Amino acid sequence: MRNSLPEAGKLRLSGVTKKIGGFSLQDISLEVAPGEYFVVLGPTGAGKTVLLETVAGIHSVDAGEIWFDGVNITAWPPEQRRFGFVYQDYVLFPHLNVKQNIAFGARVNRWSKNGLEKKIEDIAALLGISHLLRRFPGTLSGGEQQRVALARALVTEPQILLLDEPLAALDPRNREALQQELRQLHKIAGTLTLQVTHDFEEAFFLADRIAVLDGGRLLQVGPPEEIFARPRSAAAARFVGAENIFTGEIICRDGKKFVRLDGALLEVNTGLSGPVGFSVRPEDILLNNSPQPGNCLRGKILICCEGVILQGND
Amino acid sequence: MKLFKLGNLVVTYLLLFFILAVVGTVFVRGLPGLYRALKVPEIVFAVKLSLYTSFVSTALCLLVALPAAYALARYRLPGRGAVASLLRIPLSLPPLVSGVCLLLFFGTTACGEALERIGLHFVFTVPGIIMAQFFVNVSGLITVLKGAIEAVDVRLEYVARTLGCSPGRAFTRVTLPLIKNGLLAGLILTWSKALGEFGAVLMLAGAIRFKTETLPVSIYLHMSTGDLDALMASATILILISLISLAALERKGAGLPGRVSGL
Repeated sequence: MRNSLPEAGKLRLSGVTKKIGGFSLQDISLEVAPGEYFVVLGPTGAGKTVLLETVAGIHSVDAGEIWFDGVNITAWPPEQRRFGFVYQDYVLFPHLNVKQNIAFGARVNRWSKNGLEKKIEDIAALLGISHLLRRFPGTLSGGEQQRVALARALVTEPQILLLDEPLAALDPRNREALQQELRQLHKIAGTLTLQVTHDFEEAFFLADRIAVLDGGRLLQVGPPEEIFARPRSAAAARFVGAENIFTGEIICRDGKKFVRLDGALLEVNTGLSGPVGFSVRPEDILLNNSPQPGNCLRGKILICCEGVILQGND
Repeated sequence: MKLFKLGNLVVTYLLLFFILAVVGTVFVRGLPGLYRALKVPEIVFAVKLSLYTSFVSTALCLLVALPAAYALARYRLPGRGAVASLLRIPLSLPPLVSGVCLLLFFGTTACGEALERIGLHFVFTVPGIIMAQFFVNVSGLITVLKGAIEAVDVRLEYVARTLGCSPGRAFTRVTLPLIKNGLLAGLILTWSKALGEFGAVLMLAGAIRFKTETLPVSIYLHMSTGDLDALMASATILILISLISLAALERKGAGLPGRVSGL
């Protein structure tokens, strides 16, 4: 029921399953807090766009429920949910100019003309596209089109903003600028934002929390630092840029836990036991030709010419 | 290389000459008598009936083809390919055969009799002409519109819906303006084909003077009685209308070849 307080403004997916074409989502459950910037990270073909479109109401779910603000919105069509949606390739209305594109939602919802003019001016100024209002989408650069798409989604003040790889089609310069703007916009508007991307750096920069999605399944949800430092599966580790992934077994000695790496034992701080996979980040490796324990720091691995020796933990 | 180019050009211009010569034979001879012919009651009747039936049947085609084309283009129907193929049957049938099928359906089946009982008479009547034109042309219009709708990114409708449009409104505000050219081209084609439809009309509505006498039927009747002047006049009117609709099609036709590819 509405407004049991912990649910206010919260987006909750519970066991959402959807199969469409070659893509599928399997048993997706997650909660996004009001005002949170939540990024779903996953490789191409992981089902990211289907997830966003399902949240928007474009596809009905095969199983599971979607709740927003304490209300079950699973059966609501997109026009009832009215979540702002921005596609990777902008999908602007080609027969309308920039101003008409931005005004589209407001016109459909029959806003008064006076308030609308002001609103469009404000949002265009905020996104730096005031000079483009009379142009048609076909004449705009990628960055400009993306700003128009954002303006079009934001002008109706949606309660949720859904961004489908909004930076993927941009050149590096535009990409960085728009990334900063997205963060600024989120600070100003405070809209619950759900973004999907395949770029870990982008996710790391923007997200309050990240969910890793692969093969239609959620592998891990957590703050960026946690996903980066403690990926819970080899797929998640690989996706956040871990190159050195090993398998081994947890060994207990003197009340401490170790894992074997080459000839050495690494002390680890974990609740796990038995066979495990683990990764060593390049920045945690020290190189030295003098294998003295004193030459290493806690939390680092000292590697010398002859092999690996144990130092530190974690 | 030069020979290759020369050969292609010769064939092209020979064909052009042939077409102009053939059409011109009737057009040049019919044109002088056109004004006089337009005062002959029978020709006036045929022109009026042709215009009336072709407009009504084109409107009916549009009413039916638009939702059907949208369904085929956008919905994940079971057996969508088969449905699309079966809907194209009238397009591939010789119009005369379509006419026979229509005549037997409306003239000999319980369904036809039931329609007669509620006042819908199609055999040897003006509604029969409209029905024949509709049956022969609707598949072609569906094909054109389906192609045009498919060429519009469905995500434009998705975005429109997240901005508050119902499915119908998303179609009228986004997709419809974007298929405008394809739609107009399809309507012009449908209308000019309806205007010239003969085989199916002859079978279902018959060739009855001052009753089911459209321009093509008028040509047929005058041919059989040897009235060459009236025949030329009717044919010239049809040629004129065809040329005008061809010109309209060319004007509306930016990017048209892709969109009418189904035909």
